[in-house]
Amino acid sequence: MPTVLSYFLGFTAIYILMCWAIYLPYRVGQLYFTTVACMAIVAYFSGFAAREWGWPFIFVLLVGIAIGAIIAYILSHAIGKAPCFTVVIVGLAFIFIVKTVIENWELLGGTVGFFGIPPVNNLLLIAYILLGIVGFVIYQIDHSRLGRAASVVFVDRDAAASLGVNIKSLGMFYQTIAGAIGGMAGVLYTFLLGSLSPEFFAFAMVGSLVCMLFVGGYTTMWGVIVSAPILGGIPILLPVTISSWRQVIYGILLVLIILVRPEGLITKRMLWNLKGKNRYKTASNLVNTRREKVG
Amino acid sequence: MKKKNNILKIENLSVTYGPIKALRKANLEVNEGEVVALIGANGAGKTSLLKAILNIEKPNGKILFLGKDIISKSTDNIVASGICLIPEGHVIFSSMTVFENLQLGAYHNSYDFDKNLEKVFAYFPILQERSSQIAGTLSGGEQQMLSIGRGLMSNPKLIMIDEPSLGLAPKIVADIFEILSELNEEGYTILLAEQNAKKALECAHRGYVLETGRFILQGTSRELMNNQKARRVYLGGSV
Amino acid sequence: MEVFLAQLINGLALGSIYVLLVTGFNLMILVARIIQFAYPQFVVLSMYACWEVLRLTNNVFLAVFACISTSIVLNILSEPIFRRITNMKGIDINASFVASLGIAIVITDIMSHSLNYGFPIAFPTSWVEGSLARFGLIMISKGQLYALAGSIIAVLLFFYLLYRTKQGRLFRAIAENRFAARLIGIPIVKTSIFSYFIAGLLGGFIAILLSLLLGSASPWLGEFVALKILAVSIVAGLGNLRGGLVCGLCLGVTEAMAMGYLSGSWSNVVSFVIMLIIILIKPQGLFGTSIS
Ligand SMILES: Nc1ncnc2c1ncn2[C@@H]1O[C@H](COP(=O)(O)OP(=O)(O)OP(=O)(O)O)[C@@H](O)[C@H]1O
Ligand SMILES: [Mg+2]
Repeated sequence: MPTVLSYFLGFTAIYILMCWAIYLPYRVGQLYFTTVACMAIVAYFSGFAAREWGWPFIFVLLVGIAIGAIIAYILSHAIGKAPCFTVVIVGLAFIFIVKTVIENWELLGGTVGFFGIPPVNNLLLIAYILLGIVGFVIYQIDHSRLGRAASVVFVDRDAAASLGVNIKSLGMFYQTIAGAIGGMAGVLYTFLLGSLSPEFFAFAMVGSLVCMLFVGGYTTMWGVIVSAPILGGIPILLPVTISSWRQVIYGILLVLIILVRPEGLITKRMLWNLKGKNRYKTASNLVNTRREKVG
Repeated sequence: MKKKNNILKIENLSVTYGPIKALRKANLEVNEGEVVALIGANGAGKTSLLKAILNIEKPNGKILFLGKDIISKSTDNIVASGICLIPEGHVIFSSMTVFENLQLGAYHNSYDFDKNLEKVFAYFPILQERSSQIAGTLSGGEQQMLSIGRGLMSNPKLIMIDEPSLGLAPKIVADIFEILSELNEEGYTILLAEQNAKKALECAHRGYVLETGRFILQGTSRELMNNQKARRVYLGGSV
Repeated sequence: MEVFLAQLINGLALGSIYVLLVTGFNLMILVARIIQFAYPQFVVLSMYACWEVLRLTNNVFLAVFACISTSIVLNILSEPIFRRITNMKGIDINASFVASLGIAIVITDIMSHSLNYGFPIAFPTSWVEGSLARFGLIMISKGQLYALAGSIIAVLLFFYLLYRTKQGRLFRAIAENRFAARLIGIPIVKTSIFSYFIAGLLGGFIAILLSLLLGSASPWLGEFVALKILAVSIVAGLGNLRGGLVCGLCLGVTEAMAMGYLSGSWSNVVSFVIMLIIILIKPQGLFGTSIS
């Protein structure tokens, strides 16, 4: 398989995973970028473990997911029910700190990067199997009691609290899962590229992910499946002269989508209509119906 | 009886919130110098009607104020043309001083600020006493007075007041209705929305009874007080 | 001791600029109800405008004019976008953050591609250099003095506007209770546009002070400052003007101290670690927030 195509497929899987990792906590109204920091930490960890300690891939993968989840879980004690922008800044600050630590740590290659990570057979296959598993889990969460509780929290925190939804543990749950997915993406990224550079885990990455999530649509998990290959994958196939402008395109698209179609291309309403259920629930009567169900 | 000037005339006014029809094709008239009571239970649509007049909720229909259609005007234009709404539940700027609240009320009428201020202080001496106090620390009754005072600062041609009795002790409620009557004698025209029908009708010349978004009865205060249906439903039959 | 004093002066100068930035940012939160993440980017772009005009004409007045008008124009141009977003039903303040993130990304990328071929800009030495006073090893530069004095004047003027003028009263009224403000007939849109104007004016002024203090700017400066400003305003409490004053100054001093005693790349981390810890302990901010 030509490498460009395998990069395209691999990055698409990683972008979808990362977008889901941001999608999940946004179900309760939190823009959770800490997952990018988890991804960076786990990426370097797995690179180091594979090269220096010779750990097998599957072992690295499991430990990597665990590390991501543990970091997110610990932080979630403080920001489980924090307001959106507190969560935003915790994520951004954490990314910045992790990036600076990596850049200044000679053991990890500093600004030059970390090279020589042993390749893994059938990585793409493994990536897409993992993607399927994660997608299945998210689908189950979305269609469970937790998912419905999250919808209420998104629309109205006070109403949710008064209905007895435990906002903090709900937020902790979503953040921990997001951390685990970030860890998984970190491992896949490391073995896909075979080398690491701190540049990748920067602010631009956050911008790209936010763009994919909001353009694709944040109300359902399916939106990013459409947007990630187009926005994240295709620039890999294009010549550098064009793809170096991708950030400008991301930014413009982001502003346009918020102005024209604030819920993104693929919305819950659209999926309901596709399924032929025309009783789409608007935000306000969602709360009312939940009130009957939860209360 | 001499035909009085129409200040406010509402025709076929509807207000909807998504699927909820809060007001359906309402017709109402307020003449100069009158106190008109708007009576209805919780959720009848009184507040919706008053907000629609100020275009805070987007209405459908026709609203004539001093003969001009104001339905598509913006809220600040409508207020500038001389309507003020004193909202339900003490809506004041609680981190500002009493005086600043009054200054804000005079936004559209700053040229005779001193005259209006004097008038407000004459009605509510307590506000003068407390003029440098932070408004949020006033008692509930004082906040309601401040809310009315702030409305008066714009020297309105029509005062709309929404449930002035909400959450206040009977003594204060009586005071406030007293002041409303005084204001009316001064020449102010008042549209008064109230659940407390007895109090409202005692103060008003005419009244409208609203039920789930429709006017079901209208007439002079005396007619309404004597109306069997109105008495049964809204006055507890005890009048 | 001398390092300490020198860094203290430096920190106060830097901190006073952060104070101005946080103040403009908070004004947008309070009156326009948006999180304007791109506000520092507008400031940096104005610095570029200042630099360009200075380079072409070598005229200080023209450069200052270009700087301030760029900032005002950028802020006013963004107003219709944000108004449309805040008027949408069922869309909250997060959407304004996401849109401003988009704007910030575009500005950063354009600066790093096209302006000065993506290289950092350096202001001519006549603009920045010169020390005013010297005590032993401690030197107060022209830039530091301008930054400090300029910021103090700007903050005083801003608070005068806010607490002593009719326009400021309208700002506070809208910030405190939008519904009541609308009810008593304050023209919300007009007042809000005026707040963009004030933020723009302030931003242009910040751009001048910042270019005097730093003497240079890079395409990534805006992003970096935006991060700090968002962090400071959250540490202080979103929309809390007085908290912003205190925390902005503290950030400047902390950074300068770290710069004085630690190696370059670590010095920035210190302030972020401190802010992160404070935020984790007090997610609502130190001084409380007016935004729910
Ligand atoms: N913003 C809104 N969104 C949806 N429905 C609303 C809204 N405001 C009012 N309603 C509904 O419109 C109807 C009329 O409400 P309104 O506030 O006008 O009643 P009211 O007569 O003032 O009642 P009260 O005496 O309790 O103040 C109610 O059923 C209410 O639930
Ligand atoms: Mg009401």
